[in-house]
Amino acid sequence: MRIRTAGVVAVLGLALAASGCGNSGSDKPAAKESAKATGGKLVIWADDKRTAALKPFAEEFGKENGVTVEVQAVSKDLQTNFVTASQQGSGPDVVVGAHDWIGNLVQNGAIDPVQLAAEQKSAFNETAIKAVTFNGQLYGVPYATENVALIRNTELAPEAPKTIEDLVAAGKKLKAEKKASEILCLQSGQNGDAYHIYPLYTSGGGYLFGTTANGDYDPKDLGVGKPESIAAFQKIAKLGEKGDGALKRSITGENSIATFTGKKCAFLVSGPWAIADAKKANIKYDISPVPGFAGGKEAQPFVGVQAFYVAAKGKNKALAQEFVTNYVTKPELAVALYKAEPRPPALTAAFDQVKGEDPDLAKFSEAGKNGQVLPAIPAMAAIWDPFGKAEAAVIGGADPAKTITAAGKTIAGQIK
Amino acid sequence: MSTSLSGPGSAMQAPGRGPVRTGLPRKSRNARNHAPITATGLVVKVILLGLVAGIAIWAAFPLIEAKMWVGLGILAATTAGLFYLYLTRRHIPAKYLVPGTLFLLAFQVIPILYTATTAFTNFGDGHRGSKDDAIVAIQTSSVKQVPGSTEYSLSIATKGDPQTGSLAFLLSDAKTKEVFAGDAGGLRKLDAGQVTVSPTGKITAADGYTVLNFGQASGRSKEITDLVVPTSGGAIRSNGLSRAYEGRAVRAYDAGCDCIKDNETGKTWTADEKTGAFVAADGERLAQGWKVNVGFKNFSRVLTDPNISRPFFGTLLWNFAFAIGSTGLTFLLGMAVALALHSPRMRGTNLYRVLLILPYAMPSFAMLLVWRDMFNTDFGLINNLFGLGVDWFGEAWTARAAVLLVQLWLGYPYMFLVATGALQAIPRELTEATSVDGASPWQSFRAVTLPLLLVALSPLLISSFAYNFNNVNAILLTTEGGPFPADNPTNGATDLLITYTYRLAFGAQGAEYGLATTVSVFIFAIVAVVATISFRRTRKLEEVYS
Amino acid sequence: MTTYADAPVATRTVKGKPKGRWFAQVGWRHAVGVLAVAFSLFPILFVLSAALNPLGTLSSTELLPTGASFENFTNLFDKTAFAHWFLNSLLLAGVASFASIFLSALAAYAFSRMRFAGRRVGLLTLLLIQMFPQFLCIVAIFLIFTTVTDLWPAIGFNSPWGLFLLYMGTALGANTWLMKGFFDTLPKELDESATMDGASHAQVFFRIILPLVAPILAVTGLLAFIGSINEFIIANVFLTQPESKTLAVGMFGLVAGERNNNFGMFAAGTLLTAIPTVLVFQLLQRYIVSGLTAGAVKG
Repeated sequence: MRIRTAGVVAVLGLALAASGCGNSGSDKPAAKESAKATGGKLVIWADDKRTAALKPFAEEFGKENGVTVEVQAVSKDLQTNFVTASQQGSGPDVVVGAHDWIGNLVQNGAIDPVQLAAEQKSAFNETAIKAVTFNGQLYGVPYATENVALIRNTELAPEAPKTIEDLVAAGKKLKAEKKASEILCLQSGQNGDAYHIYPLYTSGGGYLFGTTANGDYDPKDLGVGKPESIAAFQKIAKLGEKGDGALKRSITGENSIATFTGKKCAFLVSGPWAIADAKKANIKYDISPVPGFAGGKEAQPFVGVQAFYVAAKGKNKALAQEFVTNYVTKPELAVALYKAEPRPPALTAAFDQVKGEDPDLAKFSEAGKNGQVLPAIPAMAAIWDPFGKAEAAVIGGADPAKTITAAGKTIAGQIK
Repeated sequence: MSTSLSGPGSAMQAPGRGPVRTGLPRKSRNARNHAPITATGLVVKVILLGLVAGIAIWAAFPLIEAKMWVGLGILAATTAGLFYLYLTRRHIPAKYLVPGTLFLLAFQVIPILYTATTAFTNFGDGHRGSKDDAIVAIQTSSVKQVPGSTEYSLSIATKGDPQTGSLAFLLSDAKTKEVFAGDAGGLRKLDAGQVTVSPTGKITAADGYTVLNFGQASGRSKEITDLVVPTSGGAIRSNGLSRAYEGRAVRAYDAGCDCIKDNETGKTWTADEKTGAFVAADGERLAQGWKVNVGFKNFSRVLTDPNISRPFFGTLLWNFAFAIGSTGLTFLLGMAVALALHSPRMRGTNLYRVLLILPYAMPSFAMLLVWRDMFNTDFGLINNLFGLGVDWFGEAWTARAAVLLVQLWLGYPYMFLVATGALQAIPRELTEATSVDGASPWQSFRAVTLPLLLVALSPLLISSFAYNFNNVNAILLTTEGGPFPADNPTNGATDLLITYTYRLAFGAQGAEYGLATTVSVFIFAIVAVVATISFRRTRKLEEVYS
Repeated sequence: MTTYADAPVATRTVKGKPKGRWFAQVGWRHAVGVLAVAFSLFPILFVLSAALNPLGTLSSTELLPTGASFENFTNLFDKTAFAHWFLNSLLLAGVASFASIFLSALAAYAFSRMRFAGRRVGLLTLLLIQMFPQFLCIVAIFLIFTTVTDLWPAIGFNSPWGLFLLYMGTALGANTWLMKGFFDTLPKELDESATMDGASHAQVFFRIILPLVAPILAVTGLLAFIGSINEFIIANVFLTQPESKTLAVGMFGLVAGERNNNFGMFAAGTLLTAIPTVLVFQLLQRYIVSGLTAGAVKG
């Protein structure tokens, strides 16, 4: 027994010494190497699609400047994970995301304002700059804008409808002639889709938030539940399942574009991301602004902006600022990002450059001209879910007044 | 480094693999040989403990370097404990439990305990960090360019060595062509003759300074960001590595009044330690708050907030129905199919089994989306195939049935596999014996097969119940909790407690982790009671052979 | 296909018997099997249809593919790091499931065969730990692994080893219950007689129990393998380098992108994901269906 234990201890000692030596030996160079790497390393987080598009340019930036650039993709919950990681100190230096994140990122102290020179700022589309401005500060450098428009199959519907009523009439005719099975492909699903219904809501007279004196959205002035919003939803209800049947809960994010490319509906409300599929399916299409109700207000789609942000707790802030303010502002990068994913560039110069070869772009941008910047205030988070559900309920035939009042109450209860 | 890391993996595999492979024929002979300690056993033990020691040493160096003595102490104690445990002859159960338990403690128990403590805080968006973090965030986000101030081209330079020399900003004004050097001491005009300026306006060389390239400069990123050159109007700060601007923090923290002051408007926001936010006299709250303890506030909110407590019992009832239904139906179908295929006369069982486990092999989130699509009123396969017009997800009961059907599809392959394994474990002699006795197949199933299956599977049924009780994905990826009554968008017919309360906790102005955790603690308590009671009843099943 | 030793005998006895008898004994089993397979496969048919559809839509009105092309499959390899994901998942799930069933088999042995203070409490605790929603723990995991990454980058973020360690944390909870249930069905006399013969507890475990529960190890191993392949929440925060991702994370990225989803590539990937599982199942099949009963009787 004793001998056995002694043997164990002896062998262990050897193993221990061996592994110890081996490790301490290999440890030192590794440590030095990592020190050198942190010297000039820039880490960028984006979603998968943008990561792929960004990679070559980020690497080029790295090569030009003698630094390492890593573009990393967070596949799900990028915003939440960025905030959590930043807070713990394991976040990136730069993050790419939609402008409506700004409110939440700022309240968590996760991003810093960026300083652009006046002439840099003026190179951007005004709406894009407005979108990334929060509490009077510029928080990100925009690179692309996006909004929905009405895409129509020109073989089925040669004329762009001027009003929703025209659209419904044309759609009904096609349906009667069995040329299409749906009047309009506007995605709703069982729980609604606030983003896609928004142009109709504004055309009916509704609004989400009022604006303060300096043009910011005011969370204290909530438009949902107000008489205007009820009126808007009464108009929407007429298009719903118990009315014209133009809006249906069975049209969802998954099947809306597919139904259009399958030539089962002549009209689709969607964004630049739908174009690739339409082209692939050889649909002859044209793009026009989403029409409003006859005699109603203008139909204003949401305008969203994709932007680069400088992380407040990044390890290499100086380099991050350099990248975001002096590299992302170059038109060449914007054009390249457009080629990877066709959305209108936010830089006017880049937009003009690609506009010639892609007429769709100008049409989308035209459709978004009167659009409203998607509110970036944290209170917006309370809108999406109740608003969408109210929309779905109204489309399904529920009483608009009762439904919207309840939604307004729920939203108001969530906003602090 | 990674080589020594392969340690734990291979260490765990080695003993498992060896004996299983060398397998049956040898073992019975060996076991009867009365060999008290085998040579292989000893060698394996030495190698494993050697690895443990090696890993401990590897892990110790960075701890020592970082002077984390507590961490080092824990490491040393754990290692010593492991050595003691595997060298002594006592504590036999611990020898088997400790390896898994160590991982469990480190990566499950500690995170859970840490998370549970947030139930007593206001942790959530806007209240994630410390008060200092909030102050820094408020101050930096209020830095504004001084109106009408100069935009400078910037070069980062050092006096002396690029890595250690003291930093300075070399600035040039594009309009006036003036050049400056700035450091923490202030701004100093340079002679145009002393510097070389590139056509773009950047200083590329200056007497007495080493101009750094981006690579060198970014290595000292933190110092560059922290360096501010004081001026009369504010301070010159770097904006990246090639531009600088004169900026001023509009808001500053004043420790005297424990408040934030705005220099432009004169407004003040005083710290409120109860809510973890700076609040102005008019009630305006600064967005950047901090994490504070709120005691039992979250708990009382869950109990008293009518939005949370009103639909509680209805939801709880459905929650139980869902968990029991999901578990029970998958078990019944899985067992039935397993029984049907469990016959020595069946051919092609291999093929059946492969095809049957396919639903389980597919990523479940993908298949949940497919199913959602199949239940679509107008375009879905189910309505089209049977010529129905049912608004599946639009009516409470059809939605519930649909959710359960999806659960059945997703989950029964699991039960099928497990039941197949369990059936193989039942000695065929037992069932054969009963049929010789003249029992019908049903009787022999009731008398022999089912009890033995339940011995093997009842613990699993309990844990499956517990899992389904909180099965967020099954609901969120299909009905999202709907259908919702038109006048209440917060509580739907297929909502589980967890989906419904998370909607409240994460649907507001950013996520409220404190509240979400509190809700989880409540749900945890409910399931724990149910599980404990049913667990007690398994005691007699456990002793089936003794 | 059949692997039963007594299959030929069985076939012989069946031959020549009337059809009705055949149905009563075997035929109905095939009927059940075919029905179950149909139930299992028809949603998968849509995935196949979407994968072959060049437009890549997940529109279920078309049960049969509208266009047959392998574009989605080739895109998957050309445009994403799918091959990397596949390999990563295979390695990680392989190693993790192996190690985790070993850990849980150890624990299940103790829980099933030994009586010690805190045994039932321990079991219950294992169950309860499983019930805490994991995604709430993400914050704590970030907290722990930020420190770990600073100290030991080799097992920190973006390293498969770190993820492996985390999976080991879930090993006990996930499989111990399942295994313990099976261990309980083995007659105690088996190990008692071995102990009488002078076998140590380790010998009983490795040489008697483990071979006897081979079918269970195979089933649990397969379940653990599928579990690791599909694990998503933790892998998503852990692996951010495109080449280091696992299948579940990478594939989710294909559809998680904002509003334009590529269901075609996603469907193609989903189908390919099932391949390793089916292969592992084939590999383990013989353990699942054979040997055990014979061993139990002889022991």
